[in-house]
Amino acid sequence: MSYVFDPSSAPNAKVNMPSTAPVPGLAAHIADKKATEAAEEAKWQKTYSDYEAAKTKAESEGAEPPKPPVRPVAKSDAYDMQWPVPKEPEDQDLKTLVELLGESVEETFEQAGELICQINKTAILNALTTCNQEVSLRYEMLSDMTATHYPAGDGYKFSVVYHLTCIRRRKRLRLRVLIPEGFEPESATQVYPGANWLEREIFDMLGIRFANHPDMTRILCPDDWEGHPLRKDYPVVGLGQRNVDFREDRSGKLMRRAMEAAGHLNINLKPIKAD
Amino acid sequence: MGVNKANIAVPTALEHILMLTKVEQFMNWSRATSVWPVTFGLACCAIEMMAAGASRFDFDRFGSGIFRATPRQADLMIVAGTVSAKMAPVIKTIYDQMPEPKWVIAMGSCATCGGPFDSYATIQGVDKIVPVDVYIPGCPPRPESLIYGFMKLQDKIMNSSLADKYRELFEPAHS
Repeated sequence: MSYVFDPSSAPNAKVNMPSTAPVPGLAAHIADKKATEAAEEAKWQKTYSDYEAAKTKAESEGAEPPKPPVRPVAKSDAYDMQWPVPKEPEDQDLKTLVELLGESVEETFEQAGELICQINKTAILNALTTCNQEVSLRYEMLSDMTATHYPAGDGYKFSVVYHLTCIRRRKRLRLRVLIPEGFEPESATQVYPGANWLEREIFDMLGIRFANHPDMTRILCPDDWEGHPLRKDYPVVGLGQRNVDFREDRSGKLMRRAMEAAGHLNINLKPIKAD
Repeated sequence: MGVNKANIAVPTALEHILMLTKVEQFMNWSRATSVWPVTFGLACCAIEMMAAGASRFDFDRFGSGIFRATPRQADLMIVAGTVSAKMAPVIKTIYDQMPEPKWVIAMGSCATCGGPFDSYATIQGVDKIVPVDVYIPGCPPRPESLIYGFMKLQDKIMNSSLADKYRELFEPAHS
């Protein structure tokens, strides 16, 4: 049996795809809250109308009227753990960002004391440049960069998140873009050179290609890997049971290429491309 | 007394200076008492392998303390740790570079059967890529386990036969 990626033949290939896209956000939180309140109100209205119908029926028959229902009050316990809900932005940095970027900011909010800003997918490079260069912001470090797959997302399939840090003011800021399948966001290496390997990891794990990246290749999986493991439709268990066959000289051609690239040293490093 | 001195064979002068054995047995003895492993660790089992080689457990007692830094001088590969799909061709290359005769010990659950990592990136046992002589269970196995497994390998080497090797190489249908 040759080395062929076939998730359907894996022993435990059943994948439970999520039906929701739980992207945290202020608008989503408000809509969710409103929906919950409306559902509670409708439930209460139904209870009360049932009570009134029973009351009129009892009055017409001369029987004992039923007990009126009591509207339940939501419990609030000050000692209970509170889920950090998204709040309106109060931090000056977020206000500056909205002022400078204008239309390209889709949403800003604070949650658990963290600053979050959702940017339009086409304006992410401009936003990163602003965060890095603007004197009042000066987020000089890209601490981390991740992405998530939301197969049930409406109009988007991935979120790419940039974690920025301002060392001087000890502040952190999170930028987020929601992108559809196949969209190539601008590479952050043009502003933060450290994003190079982070973006390669995102490409390796989720299959998001970044435009104007110096070397858009896999970084964790072997070069001839098929599929992107952090996607939700990738089977979690079972793939390791496959047989490995080296008769095709799986690494030979790629190894030669890598050795040429690394100056005939067997180092898994990519050459730095000149400007 | 009860000992009949006439039944005790007195060694002759020739037998004082000569030992008679078979070539096969002599070769096996020399191989089993000088197995040099390749310096090769993949994960936490390698720490236990180092402990087995250090002074407290002293792998050297069995003629096997010389961990060689090149597979070309080694006889034994102790696969100590998780074998990932990206590491598999490297392990295969190292195994191919070792000269015959060569042996492989799969040390620990991961190298034996994949261990707890039933994931896309982990090879479920190193025996999917190279032939394994001795499997040592444990997560990780103690140095005593490794030494016991190594002594089992020594038994296997002592019981091996050149005829078996010949048959394995040239008459695979009959073996």
